[in-house]
Amino acid sequence: MDIEPTLPIPISYIGGSYFLFSIDAVTYVRREHHICGVLSGTLPQIPQQNVFLGLPLKLMPEEARLLVEKGVACIVDEVKVQKDGMRALMEEDRKKYLRELESQGQHAMRLQHDRKEQQREKALKKIEEKKAAKAKKSAEKQQQEEQPDPVNNEAAAKDPVVDLFAHDHQSSRRSSSATAAPFGTVMGVTPATSYPPLPYEWSAEQKLPLPDVPSSYPLFAHLHSEGYYLSPGLRFGCQYLAYPGDPLRFHSHFLSVSAEWDEELDLMSIVAGGRLGTGVKKGFMIGGAEKKLEGSDAGDPSSVRTFSIEWGGM
Amino acid sequence: MADIDEAVIHMPSQDASAHIDTDLSDETQDFRMLNSISFLTDGSQQSLPKRGEKDFEPNPTLFQADILSASRQAMHNALSYPRLHHPKTQVVGIYSPNGPIPPRSAQKLDTITEESEPSKPAGTDIGVHPDSCVYVPAPKGQYFKSIGQADRWNRVWLLPEEALYLLERGTLDIRWPCSEVGCADDEGTDDSGIPMSLQAAYAAFMGRSGLTSERYSVYTGLRRLGYTIIRAPGWHDAEEGVETSESQQTALEKPQGLGLGIAGVFRQLLQWLYKPGSATTALGPVVGLGIHRSYDDIYQKLSIIPWYDPTASPSPPPPTTPPYRVVFHIYKPSTPFKKSAPPTPDFRLAVVNARTHTTIPTSAQLGALLESTPLDPPVGEKMSRQLYQRLRYGYRNVILAVVDEGVVSYLRIADSAFGKEKLYKQQNTKGNKGPWRPRPKGR
Repeated sequence: MDIEPTLPIPISYIGGSYFLFSIDAVTYVRREHHICGVLSGTLPQIPQQNVFLGLPLKLMPEEARLLVEKGVACIVDEVKVQKDGMRALMEEDRKKYLRELESQGQHAMRLQHDRKEQQREKALKKIEEKKAAKAKKSAEKQQQEEQPDPVNNEAAAKDPVVDLFAHDHQSSRRSSSATAAPFGTVMGVTPATSYPPLPYEWSAEQKLPLPDVPSSYPLFAHLHSEGYYLSPGLRFGCQYLAYPGDPLRFHSHFLSVSAEWDEELDLMSIVAGGRLGTGVKKGFMIGGAEKKLEGSDAGDPSSVRTFSIEWGGM
Repeated sequence: MADIDEAVIHMPSQDASAHIDTDLSDETQDFRMLNSISFLTDGSQQSLPKRGEKDFEPNPTLFQADILSASRQAMHNALSYPRLHHPKTQVVGIYSPNGPIPPRSAQKLDTITEESEPSKPAGTDIGVHPDSCVYVPAPKGQYFKSIGQADRWNRVWLLPEEALYLLERGTLDIRWPCSEVGCADDEGTDDSGIPMSLQAAYAAFMGRSGLTSERYSVYTGLRRLGYTIIRAPGWHDAEEGVETSESQQTALEKPQGLGLGIAGVFRQLLQWLYKPGSATTALGPVVGLGIHRSYDDIYQKLSIIPWYDPTASPSPPPPTTPPYRVVFHIYKPSTPFKKSAPPTPDFRLAVVNARTHTTIPTSAQLGALLESTPLDPPVGEKMSRQLYQRLRYGYRNVILAVVDEGVVSYLRIADSAFGKEKLYKQQNTKGNKGPWRPRPKGR
């Protein structure tokens, strides 16, 4: 189950945002590196709702940077890669790719057919069973009543007819589906990623430098290194929501806001944050990198200090 | 016992009744809930799963680890669901990287060569939006009722966000054009047969002609909920999209003292004659001298503080500054929508990136944004009865979508007119009190 994608994982930089398109990469960074991102795409199986969303996974710049710094990912200029890659696509590769897609499509079609067939068979079986039971019942009744044979015979004669008919039905359907399948009924497939047909490697000029991150990055890195899962905090009016475990299974514990070491904080904002946090059963947390006298390394996650604020409610 | 109590406290079912109206999309949902939905049967009878129960904090039990791995597996399965197109319902679109172009056959007739100025905005030529970049030669399906624009050759052109949304939801199969994949175009069509992957589509459409990922998040989020959403005139930063609704504005009563014509002056003169006290009260007693026949007169004179009247718009309206500018027009699912002639939108929406704009907009920015929307006074039976509804609804309104890395919050901003609600005139309509009289003693 635990799939390991080839490292480094390419993070697509498109229009100022960072995306992951490969499901393997998404599960991998979530499992191994506690990076959840925000799912921002539509799930094709249930497209008219906003509760469950699908690929692509949108990463905060902080998350992208953390992954790059850990050496498990690299930032790729996806627009350039796509343009160059598709232009440079060789005729053979193109054909190979199309064949692959076709076989995928056929496979999907077959799966769907099989499933439909199974359902149909199940339904038919049910009907048969019902009929058989009915026939049996009537036969038993007749036997109990000790009626002469003709009716019984009729019932007995009916049974094979039903069976035959059902069989006939089934086989004809099966044959029709079998003949229908090869007739150009190949599912069209829209793949999630472009690898293949594009090669899974990037030239130096397609790679981008480290993402720019806001000044709250030290706090982000610190909380992440402590094992917290972080997500954007807009819904609770903070910078990051800190979860003690995977957000799939746990509620968040902290509303965290980053501050500079010497920054003057408005007391009102602390009261507001503490009150809000307590109201939603979370702690309000302020944190920032400690400024050391000689310290040029303000971004060092180990120098971050955090303070949790709770509404006293006396 | 203490443990049980604690467990009870953290059971989400305990406070479920208090949070019935919680938005499920507010929090990451447990993808195992999706397993209960049978995907491949048919799409008609799917209902959304209920809110899952979560634990308070991780513990080292195998039990919890198993649940977590099951959740992750369910998520993996849900996300790896393929986008398939059954040949019967398959809709194919073709990417046109250089914007709208006439079909190949027409090009040949007009003896236009293949390389003729790709930068030229050809959109005006064939009657579709110049930002369109995907065309569907054989459109079918319900989605094209509210999406896309047809050209002369019966092809429907899609804007980048529309194309991306349709591809993402598995409705549209977009193909690379021959010119982009460098293959020989032997059949005389643009279709190279290579489907665009989701990744390729994002790379091609995101960032194209003003489509930021924030705007796209808003677009798909609302589309998924069933709203119809189209670009507003103010989409591009350079343009200024102001909706003028002169008829509406003139139809509304102008507040007193603004439209001073000769008639106005005459009216004031008459007023002065009949109510000598209504002149300035800057000197002397606030209420002024004279005979007062009703409390209304007195209250009117007491209201010496000027108030803001949203119905009186300065002309010309001040210029809006991006991002505080209407970029989307939104229609409720119940509003009959016609692509060729979109009706008055139900909502107007501006998109703000919370990362780049961390402070609330200034009064000038908000004011300009509100001025750019047409007057939408609180009318209707319900509104005329309820004062607070009126105040909340306001005279102009706009929705701000604040986006933080894919998470969207919607704020409705309305221009309330407290000055227009004369409380002293309301008193009589309430009717249950009557004129003030001294209370009986001892209470």
